[in-house]
Amino acid sequence: MHHAEHVMGTVVSIDLADNLPQADLRAMIDDVCGWLHEVDRRFSTYRDDSEVCRLRRREIEVADCSADLRHVLEACADLWRETDGYFDAYAAGPLDPSGYVKGWSVEIASARLVEAGSVNHCVNAGGDIRARGLSASGAPWRVGIRHPWEADKLSWVLAVSDQAVATSGTYERGDHVVNPRTGEPARGLRSVTVVGPDLALADAYATAALAMGEAGIAWLAKLAADGYDSALVTDDGRAFSSAGLPAAV
Amino acid sequence: MRRSTAAAVGTLTGAALIVGVRLSVSAPVVPSAAPPVVDLANSGQDADPPPAASSGKKPSSKKPAAKPTEDTEGEAGGSGLKNGIFKGSAAKNPYGTIQVSIKVSGGKITAADATYPVTGDSATINPPAIASLKQSTVKAQSADVDAVSGATFTSESYVKSLQAAIDQATA
Repeated sequence: MHHAEHVMGTVVSIDLADNLPQADLRAMIDDVCGWLHEVDRRFSTYRDDSEVCRLRRREIEVADCSADLRHVLEACADLWRETDGYFDAYAAGPLDPSGYVKGWSVEIASARLVEAGSVNHCVNAGGDIRARGLSASGAPWRVGIRHPWEADKLSWVLAVSDQAVATSGTYERGDHVVNPRTGEPARGLRSVTVVGPDLALADAYATAALAMGEAGIAWLAKLAADGYDSALVTDDGRAFSSAGLPAAV
Repeated sequence: MRRSTAAAVGTLTGAALIVGVRLSVSAPVVPSAAPPVVDLANSGQDADPPPAASSGKKPSSKKPAAKPTEDTEGEAGGSGLKNGIFKGSAAKNPYGTIQVSIKVSGGKITAADATYPVTGDSATINPPAIASLKQSTVKAQSADVDAVSGATFTSESYVKSLQAAIDQATA
């Protein structure tokens, strides 16, 4: 069963490939959509009444925040250290944990699906993907990485099972990613994809590498030892990929 | 002969700087020590026993003195190079300080080494820390896929995306 939901400022596509009654699959999709809308209400920086906005205005203190938001804040702080400051929830000024929240919420959505009995699914939140098991064809999920200049073409095709695929790029929303160290828009890399066990981390790593510019190429190479493979394209069209990238045959 | 030694050291220093710039990265996870690229004390490049060994002297150390030193016997052969271990002046670049040293025996350069920064942003240029991604040219392909990963699209730009086409086809 396939469903596309407008939520969190983008569209989340949910693909369930389990051989289960339609009503069960429908209920699972409803549950996931309910969770994603809840995340949007609680963590959106565009909603004045969200927990994140209330924390920004100091109406609540960190100690008063939900366990979920405290987890998000801690994870953002850990990633700031791990990426040498290039993943920065404060890059644009006020707190904006969206770069972590989206991947984290999809990880939880996937875990909820597993709990409800779906072991074969693929959730794509605006280009960031968490896949489990196999697709309806009985093979691993085939995930294309968008070509950074040609929107209708792919630069890589991956065969993915039980992994996350996150891509950050400068082509979709212009100078959306800034180098937190200079405050200037990120330059040097056009598109960075990270494949690994956790979508929130993969997404944060991809964003950090994009912010680093060409120095991100060597930084990404070291992530392979931790199970995070990568594929990237520079501003001048050179492509780089790590040896463990699960390329489809 | 001093001049030719200086020229050799200078060339190596230049090469090290290029390597330093090309491999520079910005985010070290763990500063690591800098083992020598080439073992100066035991170079495998020279098939003959080094003159230093035959005379009962050893090259002073793996880490030569700060000033250029000539610690073994005099001229050998017609190359004009003195035997010994020579260290170039430390060269600073934006990524740290690099210092090159060479070993000369039998009138030939038999080993070269460079010290690398071990702290700060440049620590990861140490050879053991270098892991690399394979380079190629970006391909543009069309293929049947279940999902497309890309930079996050907005609700508005979604309609033009490949993912939207997939969603429509499988709805």
